[in-house]
Amino acid sequence: MKISSNNNNSLFKYNNILSHSNVFEFVFIIGLIALPMLISNSYYRDWFVMAFIMAGASCAWNIIGGYAGMLSIGHAAFFGIGAYTSTLLYVRVGISPWLGLIAGALLSTIAAIVIGRATLRLKGTFFVLVTIAFCEVLRFTAIGWRSLTFGSMGITLVFKKNFFNMMWQGKTAYVLLTFGYLVFVYVFNKIIEKKKFGYYLVAIREDQDAACACGIPAAKIKTIGLMISAFLTSIGGSIYAQYVMYIEPDVVFDIMISVQLILIGILGGKGKAFGPIMGAIIIIPLSSFLRGSLANLSGLHGFVYGVALVLVIIFIPEGVYGRLYRFFNKNKKNIKNHVEGVM
Amino acid sequence: MIEVVNVTKRFGGLVAVNKMNIVVEKSEILGLIGPNGAGKTTLFNCIAGYFKVDDGLIKLDKKNITNLSSEEICKNGIARTFQAAKPFGDLTVRENIMVGAFNHTRKTKHAIEEAESCMEITGISHLANDTSKDLTLCDKKKMEICRALATKPKYILFDEVMAGLNPTEVQEIIILLRKLNSSGIGLVIIEHIMSAIMSISHRIIVMQDGALLAEGDPSYIASHPSVIEAYLGKGKEYA
Repeated sequence: MKISSNNNNSLFKYNNILSHSNVFEFVFIIGLIALPMLISNSYYRDWFVMAFIMAGASCAWNIIGGYAGMLSIGHAAFFGIGAYTSTLLYVRVGISPWLGLIAGALLSTIAAIVIGRATLRLKGTFFVLVTIAFCEVLRFTAIGWRSLTFGSMGITLVFKKNFFNMMWQGKTAYVLLTFGYLVFVYVFNKIIEKKKFGYYLVAIREDQDAACACGIPAAKIKTIGLMISAFLTSIGGSIYAQYVMYIEPDVVFDIMISVQLILIGILGGKGKAFGPIMGAIIIIPLSSFLRGSLANLSGLHGFVYGVALVLVIIFIPEGVYGRLYRFFNKNKKNIKNHVEGVM
Repeated sequence: MIEVVNVTKRFGGLVAVNKMNIVVEKSEILGLIGPNGAGKTTLFNCIAGYFKVDDGLIKLDKKNITNLSSEEICKNGIARTFQAAKPFGDLTVRENIMVGAFNHTRKTKHAIEEAESCMEITGISHLANDTSKDLTLCDKKKMEICRALATKPKYILFDEVMAGLNPTEVQEIIILLRKLNSSGIGLVIIEHIMSAIMSISHRIIVMQDGALLAEGDPSYIASHPSVIEAYLGKGKEYA
């Protein structure tokens, strides 16, 4: 009897939704949406919209890159597929970006299946290399296939205010849309984190042999992870295209997009649902601010940005939120030990 | 019953396992010993699906499981531990064991309950919230045993589960293994600590150069001349 009551107690603690870290995350997110709604300056609002898109896409990257530890340096491929599919469907056929976004996401998922089947059975660097190569292939295809994609000229969207066109006057609607996207991906991560699938991804990252010995079909789980990740990243790409209203191959298929998604994830704390949000809210304004304030010395902003990142990676390798999370959890554990000691 | 029939495994020109025949009866403790390089771990890896065998058959309860992948072997009811402990370092002990329990359930709640009861059995409940990479070697090994147990196996293969432990810890593991065995799980144990393997095994198989050298109960093995020779070299007349 005593044992079972003990068990219930620890079960309750384990599933505690009101843990310090969850409360922190919730408050932070409320703050995130409150700020741009209160600020009317559209320059700062632009920071938030970009940070929300990149945070959402980085959360999506986190599923395969963070939880499963498969370093994809080609996520711009899915971002670009999303951007180009929705935009081309809209410009060429007149299909609403709302539907184009789903079409792009499905195309990205198919691409993920191909990459996954080809590389995820193998260990080592094959996956990383193939993701880079795949993204480059798409970039050159988008440049070369002018009759479809307008090549390097890119595609400029003509502004026609309409919900159906996913275009609005002012930034408020975009803030809400991108925030909605971010929250969707974040909550999705938060849910799988405590599900069989999430645990399987982490187990594969930590030790694939041991994971297989526990009955985990590693290649299959990783492929599904990549599919979900691609699906969600692609939606970010579509929204990005509708917000910026101009896309070209060298922007959306650029490896810098991939690198930025990874940096946001690593700086914020990969393998934690909230990590990329923290990362984006630091990196996007920082890079934008540095570019503005160090404009007279060209290249200096990149240098400062790089140094800042190196310092973070040296001193807090688990990421800013990774460190905070540990802090919250340590407190919780101390309290628990204390309670047990008293009992 | 695990049946290993004429299994051969080659690495290039080297025959690591040569036409081995083993039968593991339901709920027995089978010791597997032999000098370094005898092919014990290779044989384990063949049974557990980590290596493809070049020749021969492996059957579990009459079902052919030869060359299935390791996760399918686990699904069929053979769990294993590794020579070097392989915890999922960033996860807590409870979460590690939940990963094992997910082998037979989809629900997180069931997995937690299963993990709690397995931790109860293995006596590591007090470590539940600790990060597994910070554990001592002995606790890591116990956690691995617990994780294997959580997959609900019919058999567990232990690869040098007592290596590197002090005598008190070895005793704890022996008690734990007996406990698992008495609950009906068949155990196959590779071990170099002779006192441990002799006291715990019902039956012992000795391998040398990939082949069967001797088979029998512990006292028979301990006095078997060719086993002594394999371990200590050829005896002098006066030895």
